[in-house]
Amino acid sequence: MTADTARPERRTGLVRTFLASPWSRLAIIAALGAAWFVAFPSYMSLGIALLLLAGWSTAWDLLGGWTGQTSLGHAAFVGLGAYTIGTTANELDLAPWWAALLAMALAAGLSYVWGKLTFRLRGSYFVLASIAIAEVLRLVAINERSLTGGAVGLFIFDLAEPFGVDLFNRGNEFWISLGYLLLVMSVTILVTRGRLGYQMRAVREDEASAQAGGINPEVVKLRAFVLSGALTALGGCIYGIFLSALQPQPMFELHLSVRIALVAIIGGRGTLLGPLVGATLLTLAAELFRNVFAEANLLIYGLLIVIVVLFVPRGLMGELERRSVRRRYAKSARS
Amino acid sequence: MPRALEADGIVVQFGGLLAVNDVSLALDEGSILGLIGPNGAGKSTLFNALTGYAKAKKGEVDLFGRRVTRLPPYARTRLGMGRTFQIERPFEGLTVLENVMIPAFLTTSRRVEAERRAHAALEQVGLADRALQPSSDLNLARRRRLELAKALALEPKVLFLDELMAGLNPPALRDMISFVRTLSERGIAILMVEHIMQAVTELCDEVIVLAFGEKIAHGSPADVTNDQRVIEAYLGGGDDD
Repeated sequence: MTADTARPERRTGLVRTFLASPWSRLAIIAALGAAWFVAFPSYMSLGIALLLLAGWSTAWDLLGGWTGQTSLGHAAFVGLGAYTIGTTANELDLAPWWAALLAMALAAGLSYVWGKLTFRLRGSYFVLASIAIAEVLRLVAINERSLTGGAVGLFIFDLAEPFGVDLFNRGNEFWISLGYLLLVMSVTILVTRGRLGYQMRAVREDEASAQAGGINPEVVKLRAFVLSGALTALGGCIYGIFLSALQPQPMFELHLSVRIALVAIIGGRGTLLGPLVGATLLTLAAELFRNVFAEANLLIYGLLIVIVVLFVPRGLMGELERRSVRRRYAKSARS
Repeated sequence: MPRALEADGIVVQFGGLLAVNDVSLALDEGSILGLIGPNGAGKSTLFNALTGYAKAKKGEVDLFGRRVTRLPPYARTRLGMGRTFQIERPFEGLTVLENVMIPAFLTTSRRVEAERRAHAALEQVGLADRALQPSSDLNLARRRRLELAKALALEPKVLFLDELMAGLNPPALRDMISFVRTLSERGIAILMVEHIMQAVTELCDEVIVLAFGEKIAHGSPADVTNDQRVIEAYLGGGDDD
């Protein structure tokens, strides 16, 4: 202790620099994930559910938070991913990694077409139109029996084993889900620090002013939507394998779309960590209160949302980030 | 001097109201054209028609000989038009530096380069020390300068200034006037809507006066302020200012 007190300032400086880099935050998340794997081997399914929700929500946030276009239809991409894995495995014997690529391509195409049709609509009209995406896909899933098994759904019996890894093993699925979350967060870091990220935020803040900066808002929104949809579908593929019994009813429902959006809103839209923080909070709260309050857990869920909307409208991480921006400016003004 | 901007017979109609009726104007490189007139004369609407924010029902707009009448605002920006908004529109959730980086990204895809250019623009308008401040925390005079920095980061050839001087105190006004003069000395063509007559008389080579959507006078600042029709429509009596 005494030897260290000589230069405490330099040490906190190093720690600060480390924590300030978004990549080291990813390293910490990876370490926490590994710790969960070791510490709670009997909570693998809960961990997978948490990681996937965080990943979807982070992908949602590229469109909903960074670009400011709230979607309540992202369950469509989750379902699209899951069904693509299931259908291609059963019908074509396609390996899951090819199926995942196909799912992402389909999701990208769907986002592009949907964006082209609905980005003319502003504000709440876009939100309403987005609800229809999932609804349309749900109807397709129910009615195209030959592909989807209709209302009964379909089962994934058998999957190729990449490098001898059993994809139905819960532990393996946990690692894949962790990798997925880290991938989505990495893409978010790369995108938001580059030109596209700045353009996305400009469109969110003020479209007229963005145009004065030479930005075509429609193109920026389309890019964000395509990226967001494709990444959500990738997570949907993992979800499909995790469930291995797919049904249109819970898969494409508004409830899932709302959860994906809410998690980001509570955690902080347009922040790297917000969706993960929100997903952790809500997943763990739901798990705890399910046992304590049984049926009342939805009430708790609702109360949390009201509290956040009233007292931290930017979301938890949004508020923290704002404070740190102010602090950084105060520091620069002093020196 | 080469022609930067030319507008011919612009008509803008809102429902039954002719907001701008058959107005033409021309602007050379390095010159400053003022647009004045009483409130509701159609100055801002004409401005918006030229920059693409309002639809011209008739007429054509040429930028360096290229027809831009049917192009959306962002496409005109890319061809060299920069503008400020009468009511400042900073990207509220972003810092001052990030605000200016967005237009700087128009000509570079590298973040470091965009940051460098944004800093240079902030330096010019005297906001460099505010770079890290959230833009929503700026006062009016600084928000104005931020608007200008955003337009300058585009490296525009034609600059549209919409009431840039309004609400500035005398020292800030003097600074802004001399700064705008240096911009035109650099060869930038400037079109300004302005109520502050001091700025108009000191800066503008020519002035166009609008009233009820129509051009009622066109000439040097001294000429138009002595024009009987202008005095009636705009200055509302014999007194000059």
